[in-house]
Amino acid sequence: MKNLSKIIFIVFSFSLLFFLLPQKSYSEEKIFDADRAFQDYLYNTNLYRQSHSEYIIARESYLKYQTLTSKNTALEKTRLMLKNQDEVTRTYLTALRLKLAEVSGITNYGQNVLYLRLDDEIPWFQKHQQSLNSAGTIEDLVSLSEDGRNQYQKTEILAYQTLGAILTSKQNVLYEEITQKIKDLKEKIGEIRTKGDKNTSLAERWLLEAENRLTRSQEKQFSAQQLLAQMKTNDFNKNESYNKAQFTIEESHQYLKEANSYLKEVVRELKNAD
Amino acid sequence: MLTENNPDQNFENFPEIKEAKAIREKMAKKPLIIFVSIFAFVLVAFLSLAIFMSFNQKNLTLTTKNQPTPTSTMELKEEITSPSPYATDAALLKTEEEIKNLDKKLQETDLKESKLNPPVLDWDIKFEKN
Repeated sequence: MKNLSKIIFIVFSFSLLFFLLPQKSYSEEKIFDADRAFQDYLYNTNLYRQSHSEYIIARESYLKYQTLTSKNTALEKTRLMLKNQDEVTRTYLTALRLKLAEVSGITNYGQNVLYLRLDDEIPWFQKHQQSLNSAGTIEDLVSLSEDGRNQYQKTEILAYQTLGAILTSKQNVLYEEITQKIKDLKEKIGEIRTKGDKNTSLAERWLLEAENRLTRSQEKQFSAQQLLAQMKTNDFNKNESYNKAQFTIEESHQYLKEANSYLKEVVRELKNAD
Repeated sequence: MLTENNPDQNFENFPEIKEAKAIREKMAKKPLIIFVSIFAFVLVAFLSLAIFMSFNQKNLTLTTKNQPTPTSTMELKEEITSPSPYATDAALLKTEEEIKNLDKKLQETDLKESKLNPPVLDWDIKFEKN
């Protein structure tokens, strides 16, 4: 009977290992990509929101009662909230950096410049987070939060410019593809014109329209980049400036759509007899 | 019947009845049987749970998989009433297909990425009464 229970125990242990080990190794295989970094950022945002609510309550309590206990609670809650704030910024910049690494329509130079700027920015918030530990009074924390606010004004510009670069790089990929299609169709039209078995003038006109739309798209993209480059740290509403740039990129995208629809017309025209 | 003619009769060491012995043995085995059956039940329950979870995981991966968007059957098909000599040209048809794919890509491109907008943070720390 003892043997039987031993056998059962061994079978049970092996089945445990069999079902649990592969799952563990699967979770270990997960790589730290943009999605993972974004989840990390969201998690820290939730922590920050929670600590911010606690800070508000602790601050109100201190301002109302002015006791030593409420002062100490306010000190600790403020410290925790500011630490979480730094962590949110750090994880956000990491997610943005990884997102930038995933896009392809950006020049190596442009990508590297943004990498360098992001890599300079992330350690600042790490250092700031550490300095919060040495703050002994509420006044120290207020002073450190002012430093954070000044730095974050620069961070916001970098974030918007990186976002703009991500969006324009998507546009660049599409622009390149349409340019290639125009080239292919030009060659085909040239071939047909040489053979002389079909009138190509209408198809050529559509192709010209497509090229015009492509040029307009580039112009819009250029103005969006200018809007992003002109952003300043003392701009009151950076979000508004970014929204303008983003809208301009959408206009540029609309021109690409039109260019592509004209290419469809070129093909239709070439497939139809005169 | 007890008589003086049977002096060897020992009531303390009365020979055990066979049935009683069997019952006693059975009683001794009972905790082991209970233990084994509980163990077996736990094992079966665990295995079923593990199988159920692995099925669930497969289902999850199946649902999250990017499935092709069904194309509408009402889509207007381009009709060529009088085809040119290039209506069946392989290179032209290839370009046409690529343009269609590009069109789909243009429609699907996310040019907002709003989830990556900078977080709104409260840097305005004040400990003064308003």
